Amino acid sequence: MSIEIENISKQFGDFTALDNVSLTIPTGELVALLGPSGCGKTTLLRIIAGLEAADRGRILFNGENTTDRHVRERKVGFVFQHYALFKHMTVFDNVAFGLTVRPKSSRPSKGEIRDKVMNLLKLVQLDFQSDRYPSQLSGGQRQRIALARALAVEPQVLLLDEPFGALDAQVRAELRRWLRRLHDEIHVTSVFVTHDQEEALEVADRIVVMNKGRVEQAGTPDLVYDHPANPFVLNFLGNVNLFHGRTQHGVGVQDNRNAVSYVRSHDIEIDRSQQDSTSFRAEVKHVQKLGPSVRVTLVMDGNAELIEAELTRDAFQNLGLQHGEKVYVRPRQVRVFVEDYQI
Amino acid sequence: MKLFAKHNNVLPGFGPTMGYTLLYLSLVVLIPLSALVFKTAGLSWSGFLEAVAAPRVLASYRITFGAALAAAGINAVFGVLVAWVLVRYPFPGKRLVDALVDLPFALPTAVAGITLATVYSANGWVGRYLEPRGIKVAFTPLGIIIAMTFIGLPFVVRTVQPVIEELDAEIEEAAACLGASRWQTFCRVLFPLLTPSVLTGFALAFARGVGEYGSIIFIAGNMPMVSEITPLIIITKLEQYDYQGATAVATVMLLASFVLLLVINLLQKWSRRYAE
Repeated sequence: MSIEIENISKQFGDFTALDNVSLTIPTGELVALLGPSGCGKTTLLRIIAGLEAADRGRILFNGENTTDRHVRERKVGFVFQHYALFKHMTVFDNVAFGLTVRPKSSRPSKGEIRDKVMNLLKLVQLDFQSDRYPSQLSGGQRQRIALARALAVEPQVLLLDEPFGALDAQVRAELRRWLRRLHDEIHVTSVFVTHDQEEALEVADRIVVMNKGRVEQAGTPDLVYDHPANPFVLNFLGNVNLFHGRTQHGVGVQDNRNAVSYVRSHDIEIDRSQQDSTSFRAEVKHVQKLGPSVRVTLVMDGNAELIEAELTRDAFQNLGLQHGEKVYVRPRQVRVFVEDYQI
Repeated sequence: MKLFAKHNNVLPGFGPTMGYTLLYLSLVVLIPLSALVFKTAGLSWSGFLEAVAAPRVLASYRITFGAALAAAGINAVFGVLVAWVLVRYPFPGKRLVDALVDLPFALPTAVAGITLATVYSANGWVGRYLEPRGIKVAFTPLGIIIAMTFIGLPFVVRTVQPVIEELDAEIEEAAACLGASRWQTFCRVLFPLLTPSVLTGFALAFARGVGEYGSIIFIAGNMPMVSEITPLIIITKLEQYDYQGATAVATVMLLASFVLLLVINLLQKWSRRYAE
């Protein structure tokens, strides 16, 4: 089931949540809507689900216009950040809900429902908890039940709104790997919203980077990471250093225009001696150890700009950097965006 | 073994607070009630039976408890509706309507009773339209139910309202995504979450109805065997200086109310079984 989003706009009072957004989500893919809070990603997801109505534009499922179809008839599975489980029902009844509310003519028999629910609970590895109430489960387990409940109605698309947002770091990492495996197993077209770039890069087939109600870039994780379309995308996906300068001998760019160079912090090399003309001198100002990597803050000689470099622990130990030491810094990979494209 | 585990509490310790609780309950509730039972105990068994099981008294139990249950039931349904409207929909004059709900609390019961009797009597504002259609309200058990409904309304509204306010909108959205109709969402998802508070409101409205006197006697007509409520029987006995008979009837009423409230409490506990 493919989803087409055509020129969707949505306004909340004076606030523009979505500004003429168009997007295609191909069948069977797991797509991440990534962006800072307030960028409109959740609104877009809710419009796809039919929980919110767009002011303008159309939503098509498999080429069929579903813009005016009620959420009940859209056959979407929706997973909420805070689970939204029915707390007065057992795990089993929660998952069975979507089947038991069907009209008599299309409702499966009790036995069929039981088989189906138990299969789903097996899929989310919680079949031994079927008689429990949601309040007796952990956050990660509750979210898995919410997912099983959404899958029970055999949705055409699965929509997840910050599904791991309320979980602690370890459960979160575990659950997103599990979601990826699950998706490889069942292949239902899925869209999930996140503000965590790491999560998007790890789980998604495609990433849609959004900002201020617009789509900044859409593409595979490799594409948006290696070839960011603009400074916002670059900035949002990882730590970057900015270098201000002017263009010279650029291709398709006039000379002497203001330009900003962006270097990711792990693309900065630190050496004791000058390597080539792209190296420049800097002083080690601060060292911060972050588990497997080490973040070194340096001050550039001359203009006193701060640079952040991220080294592996090994590289850091080999160098044996000291506070206040003068070193040479060399950017390995630079991306230049001509100004007026400011972030 | 320690009897009470040590907890860090905001209130000063278990000892003093429990002490105050017991003292208060004793002074306000237990001592007057035990005096009631004590006074009744002065009666012989046959005298007791004669007082509490006379046909006229038995009829008054039926009327009082029956009408109170009916009124509490009516309030449970319409009180939830009122609470729902007050929470979920914005409309002009909402605060006014909200304040109106508390009026039965504030109005002296006699005023309420006289007003109701006037409005529902054969030539009253409402009564004059009901009477030709064969519906007699004033001076019948129906009038008793109406008076009890009037004074019991705030209980259900005020207990259910905060619970509706706290209902998570996502739960309804989840139900809609799963294909549930509005009715199914209400019956299977929302109402079970409201049930404990509805039962509390029901119990309070019921208790109030059983104990109500002032607003009922004006509209009831007080015909023996037909529209005479138990509190009136007690008053009548008191006026005839039959103190023991009055307390005997009161004791029976007390016991019956206590059992009914206990049952409602158990129901409520059962309806909240998921929270444990």
